[in-house]
Amino acid sequence: MTPPITDRQLDLLAERLGSVGVGRRDFLLVAAGLAAMGAEGFNARPVSAAPKLAPGEKLAKDQTFRYGGGGWYQVDPASHDFNKDLYCQGQVTLFAGLMKFNADFQAVPYLAEKVSSNADGSVWTFTIRKDSRWSDGSPVSARDFEWSWKRQLDPASAAPYASFLYDIKNGEAFNKKQITDAGQVGVKATNDWTLEVTLEGPRGYFPVLAAYLAALPAHRASVEKYGDKWTEAANIVCNGPFVLESWEHNKQMVLRRNKHFFGAKDVTLEKVVIPIIGVAAGALPYDGNEIDLTSLQVADLRRLQGDPRTARQVFRYPFPGTWYLLPQTTKPPFDNLKVRKAVAHAIDRENVIKVAQGFALPAHSMIPPGFPGALDDPKVRALQKFDPKLAMSMLKGTPFEGGKNWPKIVLSMRDEPLGAKPLAEAVQAVLLENLNMKTELEVLEPRVFRERLWKQDLQFVWIRWFMDYPDPHNEYFDTFYGKKTTGRRQAWVNADFDRELEAGRDTRDTKARLAHYAKAEEIMQTDVGYVPVAWVVRYAAAKPWVRGIERNKQGEQVVEGNIYLNMLPHLYLVERA
Amino acid sequence: MVSSTPVFGTDVALSPRSEAIGPARGTSLTRDAFRRLVRNRLAMLGLIVVVLMCLTAIFADVLAPYSYTKTNFGRLNEPPSAQHWLGTDQLGRDLLSRMIYGARISMIVGLGSQAIVVLIGVPIGALSGFAGGRLDLVLTRLIDVMYAFPRLLFVILLMSMLGAGLVNIFIAIGLTGWVFIARQTRAQMLAIKEKDFVGGARALGAGGWRILGRHLLPNAMSPIIVAVTFGIPEAIFTEAALSFIGVGINPPTPSWGQMVGEGQQYLRTYWHLCVFPSIAIAVTMLAFTFLGDGVRDAFDPRQQ
Repeated sequence: MTPPITDRQLDLLAERLGSVGVGRRDFLLVAAGLAAMGAEGFNARPVSAAPKLAPGEKLAKDQTFRYGGGGWYQVDPASHDFNKDLYCQGQVTLFAGLMKFNADFQAVPYLAEKVSSNADGSVWTFTIRKDSRWSDGSPVSARDFEWSWKRQLDPASAAPYASFLYDIKNGEAFNKKQITDAGQVGVKATNDWTLEVTLEGPRGYFPVLAAYLAALPAHRASVEKYGDKWTEAANIVCNGPFVLESWEHNKQMVLRRNKHFFGAKDVTLEKVVIPIIGVAAGALPYDGNEIDLTSLQVADLRRLQGDPRTARQVFRYPFPGTWYLLPQTTKPPFDNLKVRKAVAHAIDRENVIKVAQGFALPAHSMIPPGFPGALDDPKVRALQKFDPKLAMSMLKGTPFEGGKNWPKIVLSMRDEPLGAKPLAEAVQAVLLENLNMKTELEVLEPRVFRERLWKQDLQFVWIRWFMDYPDPHNEYFDTFYGKKTTGRRQAWVNADFDRELEAGRDTRDTKARLAHYAKAEEIMQTDVGYVPVAWVVRYAAAKPWVRGIERNKQGEQVVEGNIYLNMLPHLYLVERA
Repeated sequence: MVSSTPVFGTDVALSPRSEAIGPARGTSLTRDAFRRLVRNRLAMLGLIVVVLMCLTAIFADVLAPYSYTKTNFGRLNEPPSAQHWLGTDQLGRDLLSRMIYGARISMIVGLGSQAIVVLIGVPIGALSGFAGGRLDLVLTRLIDVMYAFPRLLFVILLMSMLGAGLVNIFIAIGLTGWVFIARQTRAQMLAIKEKDFVGGARALGAGGWRILGRHLLPNAMSPIIVAVTFGIPEAIFTEAALSFIGVGINPPTPSWGQMVGEGQQYLRTYWHLCVFPSIAIAVTMLAFTFLGDGVRDAFDPRQQ
C-alpha cells in the first residue's frame, strides 16, 4: 500500500517537476497516475484549507458573509445556467465542474479524481469521484456531464457560447446542424464514473477547458421539468459548495452551504448574501458596513487608500485582461500598414496607464506576465516601442506625412466603468500629440457596440479581452483567429498567423505549443493587427474580520475574478474585534 | 380691458405697413418693451452674464490659458492652484481651459438649435393658423402627437439613432423643440388674422402670402422672441444632460455636461472635477431664465 500523499508533497512535486520543464498539465497526468496507483491522499485533498486563527481569535458564531458592489453582481444575473449561457453572470459556486482553477490560475481536479489522456492528447478520460452529490442527494455521475455538454452543443438549446466546446469531436458539426445524431459527438460516459472525451485532434489544453465555465454541468431532471426557470431559487438543484436559498430578482441572492457537497466539511461559511448593487453606488455599501467584501472602482480606491482607517483593507488582485486598439484594416487610414505602425509606436504606454490610477499596467503583448504564453521578447517589444519620432517617420510616403490630411477618425468603445473611458481619452491624447491624429471618442451602448464590432463596421476600436481560461488558445484563437465564423472582432486576417494558431492548438508538447503562440504574436504585431496598450488589474477591500482569502505564488490576494471563481469555499469570518 | 394697456395688434393696427420691430423705426410696443426690460434689474444681470458667456465663447482661443487637449500625465486630478485656477482633470488637462471651450459648445448648441426650432416651428405654426381648415387640423394633430412624447426621452432616442455629435444634437433638439413655438405662432395667427388691419390689407388687394409675411408674422414676433429666450437655456441644458449620460458631444471636445458626468464619480475624491462645470451650467441657466422672464414681462406686462 502506497503511503498517502499530502497536499504539500503534491505541491512540492509540481514545483520540482516544473523546474525541470514538466508543465502543470503533464504533472497532472503524473499526479493522476499516482492517485490511480491507490494513493488515498489525492482523493482526500480538502476543498479548502482549515481556518487559521491567531491567538485570542475566535471563529464568528454567525458565518454570514456579504459581498458585492464595485462591479460584482451589478446587474441581476440572467440565470445561473452556465451550461446554457456561460456569461449568464450567475453565481458559480452553485456548481462544481470536473476541474477548477486555483489561486494560481491552474486547472486542478475538482469532481474528477483522475485525469488521463492517450499519447497525443486527443482522447481525455475523466474519472469522477463517487461521493459527489446534487443538492437533492442524488449522485453526480459521468452521465450528467455527457448530457450537459451535449445540451450545450445541441442547436435546439441555442447556447450562445457553445463554440467553447467545439474542440470536442463533431461538436461544431452537431451545433451547426451538419450532423443530427448526438451520438456522434465525442463525449461519452463509458460508465457512471468515467467520462471519455474524444477531441477533433490533439488538444493539450483540454483539462483547462474542463475547468472553465463552459464545462459546468446542469441538472437534467430540473431542466426537463422547469425549462429556462430551472435556476430560480425554488427549482434549482446544484452540485457546488453552495445552494441558492433565495433570489429576489434585482435585489439580492442568498446562498447556503450545500450539505450534500462532497467537500461540505471543509466549507466554513454557512450563508452568503449577495445584494445586487449598481456600480454607481461605489463603495458606499462597504463604508456603511452593509457588505464585508467589495470590488473597488477608480474613484473609491484613492479615498479608501488615503484614509488610515481603511488603507489596510484595500488590496490589488489579478484580473487577467488586456486593453488594446483595433485599427480596422479595411477602413482608411488604417488600411495602410505604415499608419498602423505609426500608431503602434505613438502610444506612450507608461503615461497612458497613469490615468487609470493603478487599474492598468503597460502592456506589450496579449498575455499578462505570470500566465502560460506570456512573452517578454525584445523583438516583439521593438515592434511597438514608444518613439514619437519613429512614429512620425512611419508616415513618410503616405498621404498623412507630417500628421496631415487625416480623415475623420472615430474611436469606438463599449460603455463600461473601471476607468475605461479615461484610458481611451489618454490614447486619443497621445495620438493627437505624437501623430497629430484627431480622433473622436464614441461610447456605444454595449449591445450596439457588440453588433457593430462583429460586423467589423467600426473604424478604430478601444477594447479589452478578459481572459476566460488561462491558455494562449483563449488569448489568440478565441480572439483573433481569422477563420472564426462568429464573434470575430477585427477584419484583419493573416494566413501565417492562423497557421501558427492551428499548430498551437494541435500540438501536444507544451513548449512547442508556446513557441507557436510566440511566433503568432510576432506576426500579428509586425502586421499590426492590434496594438496592445494596457493590462488590467483590479482592487478590492475586505473588512478585517474576513479571512481565508487565498494568495497566489506572487503573494497577491486573489478574489473572485474572471478565472478564479471559487473564492467562497475558502472564506471564513472571525469575531469582530 | 383698460384702454391704456397695450394690446397686441392694436398699436400696430394704426400703422399696418410697419414691417418689422426694431428701435430704429420703432413701434411704441417695442420701445415700451425695451424700456421695461432695461428697468428690470434681474433681467439686466442675466443679460450681462449672457453677454459675458457669449464673449467667452467667441474668444475662447484667446482667453483659455491652455489648449483643451493638452494633457499632463504627471499632474492628474490636481486641485485648484495658481497655475491651474480650477485644477486639472483625469488626464491632467487644465479644467478652466476646458470650461472656457465648453462655453463655446453650450452657446453654439443654444443658438444653433433654436435657429432650427424657429425655422421649423414658425412656418408650421403660421401656416396652420393662417390657412385653417383641414391643413390646420392635420398640423395641429401633429403638434399634439409631438407634445405627447416626453421631450428628453425622445431626444435620447434620436441621439441613439443618429449617434453622438454636435450636428446631431442640433437635429435632435430641433426636431423635438419646434412644437411649442409652432403652437405659440398658430395662436398668434388665429388672433391677429381677425384684426381690422388684416381686413384692410385684404381689401387693398394684398394676397395671402403677402398678408402672412408682411402683416401677420411681424406682429406675432414678441411671443416667438420670448419662446426663443427660454428655448436657449433649455437646449443648453438638454445638451448637458445628453453629454452627462454620454450620448452628446464626443471627447476630446469639452462639454460641461460631459465634464460633470465624468467628474461625478470622483465627487468624494476630486470634488473640483464636478463642482466647477456644474456651477457653470447653473449660472448660465439662471442668467438665461432671468433674461427670459424679463423679456416676457417686457412684452406682455399683463402676465405679471
